Amino acid sequence: MSTPARILLADDHALVRRGVRLILDQEPDLTVVAEAADGAEAVQLVRSLDLDLVVLDIAMPRMTGLQAAREITRRTSHGDPPRMLMLSMHDNEQYFFESLKVGASGYVLKSAADEDLVGACRAALRGEAFVYPGAMSPLVRDYLDRMRRGERVPETVLTEREDEVLKLIAEGSSSKEIAAALTISVKTVERHRANILAKLGMRDRTQLTRYAIRAGLIEP
Amino acid sequence: MGLFWKVGLINGAVLVAAAALLVLGPFSVSRRPVMSEVVVLGVGLLAMLVVNALLLRSSLGPVDRVVREMATVDPLHPTDRLATPRSAPGRQLVAGFNAMVDRLQDERSASNAKALAAQEAERHRIAQELHDEVGQRLTVVLLGLKRAEQRAPAELAADLALLRETTREGLDDVRRVARQLRPGVLEDLGLASALASLTTDFAQHSGAQVRRVVTPGLPPLPPDTELVLYRVAQEALTNAARHAGATSVELSLTRVGDRVALVVADDGHGFDVRREGAGLRGMRERARLASGELTVTSDPSGTTVRLEVPVTAS
Repeated sequence: MSTPARILLADDHALVRRGVRLILDQEPDLTVVAEAADGAEAVQLVRSLDLDLVVLDIAMPRMTGLQAAREITRRTSHGDPPRMLMLSMHDNEQYFFESLKVGASGYVLKSAADEDLVGACRAALRGEAFVYPGAMSPLVRDYLDRMRRGERVPETVLTEREDEVLKLIAEGSSSKEIAAALTISVKTVERHRANILAKLGMRDRTQLTRYAIRAGLIEP
Repeated sequence: MGLFWKVGLINGAVLVAAAALLVLGPFSVSRRPVMSEVVVLGVGLLAMLVVNALLLRSSLGPVDRVVREMATVDPLHPTDRLATPRSAPGRQLVAGFNAMVDRLQDERSASNAKALAAQEAERHRIAQELHDEVGQRLTVVLLGLKRAEQRAPAELAADLALLRETTREGLDDVRRVARQLRPGVLEDLGLASALASLTTDFAQHSGAQVRRVVTPGLPPLPPDTELVLYRVAQEALTNAARHAGATSVELSLTRVGDRVALVVADDGHGFDVRREGAGLRGMRERARLASGELTVTSDPSGTTVRLEVPVTAS
């Protein structure tokens, strides 16, 4: 590991910022170099700092996280924009799809931030998408629907276990419920989930967005 | 002719006829009336009463009927009004009564609309507070517990893990309640996303097939109108799943001239639209808020709820 990834943290609640910062700074490969209290400030800071990742809260005054992400994607004319991750209270797949649309690589629920945030940051830094678990069910259900109708779907060879996990995801089960149903650990379920996404061709942001548009889950 | 004049004239005519008969007819009453005279007088009086009663019945009868019918009218049902009788006094009464019922309905709808708006505003405020205050604080606790757990001695870590799970559940509860109070997605992402999320949720919970058609590039609508469309769609879907036992539902939002039309059609077993329940009444009142027009058709093969709102509604 060379230098830790440089992160900007934007959330209007100072104590939440502090909590998130402590979690991230604890990891040797991540370091929070700046904080912003709203979207507009985040956009300003992105222009003046050299960053690898921006973590944006969705609900912020002045400029929401989604607006800020759109602005950051739009304004970065030279070079690649930093990767972005949305942090949100809303357990709703529409926010996730909207986040993809405005250029973010992932969506982390605040109530799962203690478990998911570090992993999501690393996935985003690797250039992969972090699929918020709540969005898995509609994505996978659409895949199954199309397979049932005999439409062309990406060539996939899922293992038997992955197939079981896929069906449970489609029914809307959470990782914990799937783990209990199949008597495996939550970690294993999450590994299966990542493998399924990769095999269905939804590994990165662009692929995922394309898939969601084709599935009619978001407007183009 | 007014009711007073009609009754006055009928009575007058009968009295005049009786007086004329007494003057011109072969009748006389002695100073000490004899039996035969009393009988003739009695018969005459009886005839006069009968004629008067018959005449009055024909003109006052419709009024009585109207009064009886008044008791059964439902003021909230816009088509449930008294039929206008042919004769004049009844007609006036019916016209007056119907006008009053209309006014009653207008006033009632207006105050219901006001109550609905107040309720939405209050829900909005509470949902916001839950998200911005309670939710954020619980997030701080959750993250703090995670960090404490990592640094705590092993015998404490298990306790902290339990607390952390409880905090997470608390946070989930807060979010769920806030979402029921007010769909944040509508405000943040707009009507199309809100309807998408509504139908996805509906498909997941009811097991029914849902087809959603939202024309891209719909004109922007005022937030209040969007909320009305959203709530009507929500109510229609709830009815389809809960009461009609539908297995397939189609929801569409399209532009029709200078109006936007929301249509929710299901294949459930329908209901009698004349017996308007609280749900349908609520939809009608919400439609009023957006100056919209709600039509509901239902037969045993399905129900269609259609709401059209003007694009320029403010």
